[in-house]
Amino acid sequence: MTDGSEKKIKLLKKTSKNYLLSGVILMVLSLIGLYFVTQYFIREETDDSLKSTLYRIEQLLEAKQPISSVHPIIEVQKTQIEGTASLKDTLINDPLEDEEEVFRQLSAYKSVDGETYKISIRILLVESEDILLAILASYITIIFIIFLAQFYFSRQHAKVIWKPFFDNLEQIKTFSLQSNQKLSFVETNILEFSELNNELRALTDKVILDYKNLKQFTEDVSHEIQTPLAIMQAKVGNIIDDNVISTKQFKLLTEIQQNVQRLAGLNKKLVLLAKIENQQYETSQSLDITEQLTKAVEEFKEMSAIPIHYTPSGSILVRIDSTLAQVLMDNLISNAVKHTPEDGIIKVDIANNTITIANSGKNSIADPNKLYNRFYQESASKKSLGLGLAIVKKICDRYDLTIDYHFENKFHYFTLRFPKN
Amino acid sequence: MKVLIAEDEVALQESIVKFLERDGFVCESASNHKEALYKIDLYDYDIVILDINLISGSGLDVLKTLKKEGKKSGVIIISANNSLDDKLEGLDLGADDYITKPFHLPELNARIKAVLRRGKYGGDSCLIYHEIKVNTESRQTFVNNKEVQLTKKEYDLLVYFIVNKNRVLSKEVIAEHLWGDHIDLADNFDFIYVHINNLRTKLTKVAANYIKTVYGMGYRLTEE
Repeated sequence: MTDGSEKKIKLLKKTSKNYLLSGVILMVLSLIGLYFVTQYFIREETDDSLKSTLYRIEQLLEAKQPISSVHPIIEVQKTQIEGTASLKDTLINDPLEDEEEVFRQLSAYKSVDGETYKISIRILLVESEDILLAILASYITIIFIIFLAQFYFSRQHAKVIWKPFFDNLEQIKTFSLQSNQKLSFVETNILEFSELNNELRALTDKVILDYKNLKQFTEDVSHEIQTPLAIMQAKVGNIIDDNVISTKQFKLLTEIQQNVQRLAGLNKKLVLLAKIENQQYETSQSLDITEQLTKAVEEFKEMSAIPIHYTPSGSILVRIDSTLAQVLMDNLISNAVKHTPEDGIIKVDIANNTITIANSGKNSIADPNKLYNRFYQESASKKSLGLGLAIVKKICDRYDLTIDYHFENKFHYFTLRFPKN
Repeated sequence: MKVLIAEDEVALQESIVKFLERDGFVCESASNHKEALYKIDLYDYDIVILDINLISGSGLDVLKTLKKEGKKSGVIIISANNSLDDKLEGLDLGADDYITKPFHLPELNARIKAVLRRGKYGGDSCLIYHEIKVNTESRQTFVNNKEVQLTKKEYDLLVYFIVNKNRVLSKEVIAEHLWGDHIDLADNFDFIYVHINNLRTKLTKVAANYIKTVYGMGYRLTEE
């Protein structure tokens, strides 16, 4: 499983995050809105109240009633010049607190019997500001509580709703073609999930069927080719066994046998490659791969005169199929043996979860990128099929091992790195 | 010794019969599943060579019937399939050995004799060739009743020679027997010479002389 470059986020976390974010934005916006609306209404009310007070004072003036000023709330003064009426905020020293306070002030001029009066009525704005704040504070408290409760309940609810989905996801994660086990999904009454289950079921059934067919095909091909080869091999064996042939004929027959063997080997290797590609090898157990290495070295020491310098040391635990582990080691050692000149040597080293296999050589490989291609041959070796390293590479890919090649001081180095446990 | 060869490829069947008869086996063949079932029901065989993919049925069914009826035959499965599953299934069902196509006839011969030697089919666990005696149970080798220490490969080589006595064995055939699948990875078979030479030096002069080099062909165990 490889994640994309961007970081993955859990569905529930994502929806919660979006919910929280949009909730906060809405809360802030509605708060601002409420502030202005409430402020507007309070202003209106204040102004209305000022106007109605003004009206009453004018009535009193017209009725010639004496009016006493109440600083700074009501002020009635005689004046020579008649100005225009105004409504504005103003700063006035409030004697009660002895500090500058904001007042809403309505000034008007009134002429009664040739006398002009300037009437100023003021209302302390702090009061209305307090009301505004109280409204906003209770609003935000209520909204916040509702929001939190809703957030909690929707989260719980989402968990319940998505549960079948997550359960089925876990199932799919454990799905393996090799285990031959069908998926048994958790049923749900949610239409989309139920559809998803049906589609997944259909898909996995098809995959299992295709896989079986492919496997069958691989086996059939292997079978069909091996049988005629077996007949050829046996017939040649009969002729040799009859003991009536000359040395020259024997040589020819042995060559036929060798090529039958070669074809059988080729077939076996191609089937092996296909099997690795089809993931027909399970990774059930962890094993110490140095055992396979030791075995491979022992076998090749008996089959070749080229000295192999190897001291078994430490252990490297890898989760790998044991047959493939042996094939991997055999192919690497075999590759080294085949490409070492007669006077050369092979060095095998184990260190820090890596195995390095080095063999003497004159020049670096011309095109290391092609090294793992099927049927790639650096030199025309009569025995080599050019599949050994392709198989090595396939096995490495299958089990997330890395293999590197480099040439240094007249040695070809193949370095096999294992994942750390 | 009676052998039944249940193999649907008649050409292969004939080759096996021809090879085994030279060693004194009495051979019968069955070309399909039905014939095989019929014959094992009617006669007792020391060895049944069973192709896993018989026409009209699986060789494994024949094996099951054989075991169900309590027959004492040793069973060697021939399969075109190198898959481990098939191998394990066959051996689980009571087969004694498993050989993959294509195989060398001397190899099949050696496998048959190894199964027979295992005692439960009435064979002798000792191989004797003149003054050479090999106890295959304890894996000891004696020449003139004196024990000789052989490596695993030398021992296998000697046993292979004895069971295939008087037959020319090419380097390829010997290598395939001793190293099995690894031999695909070898670049030549000259190393066989080293192992044969080592074996010869460990035997007495007379005994060593039985292993003859057949010029240009290979090796043969013979008293001539």
